[in-house]
Amino acid sequence: MVPRFPASGTPGISGDSMEIDSDPFHHSEVVPKMLEADVELSRHRISLFLSTHTAYELLPESGKVVALDVTLPVKQAFHILYEQGISVAPLWDHGIGRFVGILSPLDFILILRELGNHGSNLTEEELETHAISAWKEGKLQLTRKFDGNGSLNPRHLIDAGPHDSLKDVALKLLQNKVATVPIISRDGSIPQLLHLASLTGVLKCICRHFKHSPASLPILQQPICSIPLGTWVPKIGESNGQPFAMLRANASLSDALSLLVQAEVSAVPIVDDNDSLLDIYCRSDITALAKDRAYAQIHLNELSIHQALQLTQEASATYGFFNGQRCHMCLRSDPLHKVMDRLAIPGVRRLVIVEAGSKRVEGIISLTDLFRFLLG
Amino acid sequence: MSNSRGQDQETPVVAGFEVPRSPDASYNNVYTASEDDGRDPPVVPQHLQHTVLSCPTNGGPCAPLPDPQHVVLNHLYIENREAPRSVVALGFSHRFRSKYVNVVLYKPVQRRGSSST
Repeated sequence: MVPRFPASGTPGISGDSMEIDSDPFHHSEVVPKMLEADVELSRHRISLFLSTHTAYELLPESGKVVALDVTLPVKQAFHILYEQGISVAPLWDHGIGRFVGILSPLDFILILRELGNHGSNLTEEELETHAISAWKEGKLQLTRKFDGNGSLNPRHLIDAGPHDSLKDVALKLLQNKVATVPIISRDGSIPQLLHLASLTGVLKCICRHFKHSPASLPILQQPICSIPLGTWVPKIGESNGQPFAMLRANASLSDALSLLVQAEVSAVPIVDDNDSLLDIYCRSDITALAKDRAYAQIHLNELSIHQALQLTQEASATYGFFNGQRCHMCLRSDPLHKVMDRLAIPGVRRLVIVEAGSKRVEGIISLTDLFRFLLG
Repeated sequence: MSNSRGQDQETPVVAGFEVPRSPDASYNNVYTASEDDGRDPPVVPQHLQHTVLSCPTNGGPCAPLPDPQHVVLNHLYIENREAPRSVVALGFSHRFRSKYVNVVLYKPVQRRGSSST
């Protein structure tokens, strides 16, 4: 019953997966059937491109990257990420002289749930002195409950080098189910942090490269409803058998956080009573709770998602961050290249597929879905 | 660091262009007298103020910074915040191949009862 991240790893594109019961289009257009040969050709060309370019291309001309010392108290780390407008930071251990891990929104969600959990040892005062390193030790016990395969050791840093191929970087991100991988240069005596790589950057490289030759990737013209990609509401597109997670705006924040943790999804669409899209709550929105120490005053099940989203909007306004559109959407008839261009925008990790006009939620396509499909 | 070692070992010697020995007179200077300690240290060169580390990232965390000038590369900066503070930010800009990387590290401040950090 737990909604899972969609696995579009099924390579065979059979005809029956494209049947749509009711006529979804205004102009009754036949949905073009996706050719297996097109898929294979596109996948081959993308794979070739990714294998022949390196992570160095992901670095901007002059990029900024923020790291945290692992002895910082968790609470301070929370505030720093909030002030800097970032959601993820690598952790530096001065004692051993290397990077040892990453602090991510999931850590904060778990910490907040621990705070609210009366049976736990973690109190708000302890947050002042509880170092990140101590938290990561304790997290090992917590995540054993959620982690299917116990072989993933949270202390072990998953990183990549600047000379690694883009394909290796993408595979590392997918296989370890992480959103960010630090690019660290080990050429000198001290590891140098260069960049935080994510699938967004890799997708941007792909889009830039193939922008002028769209014909070389025939799959790009296909409407996304004809591609086994993403998670769909069961009636509309092909269902991968999993229930699609959505929440109302008056649901409690703790419900949202539970979904984000247990369902292994990184965002939950917030809908109204007609299932029309209102907003989206992502894991990275958790840092907005650092505003005015909101996390201290609230109990997670007393704060509604609507109130939590307001905090996020206020946070963007306070620090003058680019308050771009929060929910990026697309239609099911949109071609794949349009979806890829939108997903390549920095900060956009998923698109909500909506019905034109009513904005009723039909599905979600995330960067991970896209890459699993493109890399086969 | 590794560069200077490399130059000493790998620079070929061309006749007539050997590096001259340092004059002996440069080795018998008197160690700095104590009156030098009373003077203020030399002023920081003005060009070092043009660091890009304090540029506001108004495009969000993904927005790139302007290219740092070559004169500020490989200098360690500390963030100016009023004391008392529990966290200090250290930053420096360096070049990696033909791109620039601006790294900021946040460290806790050791409280020892003294105002120096």
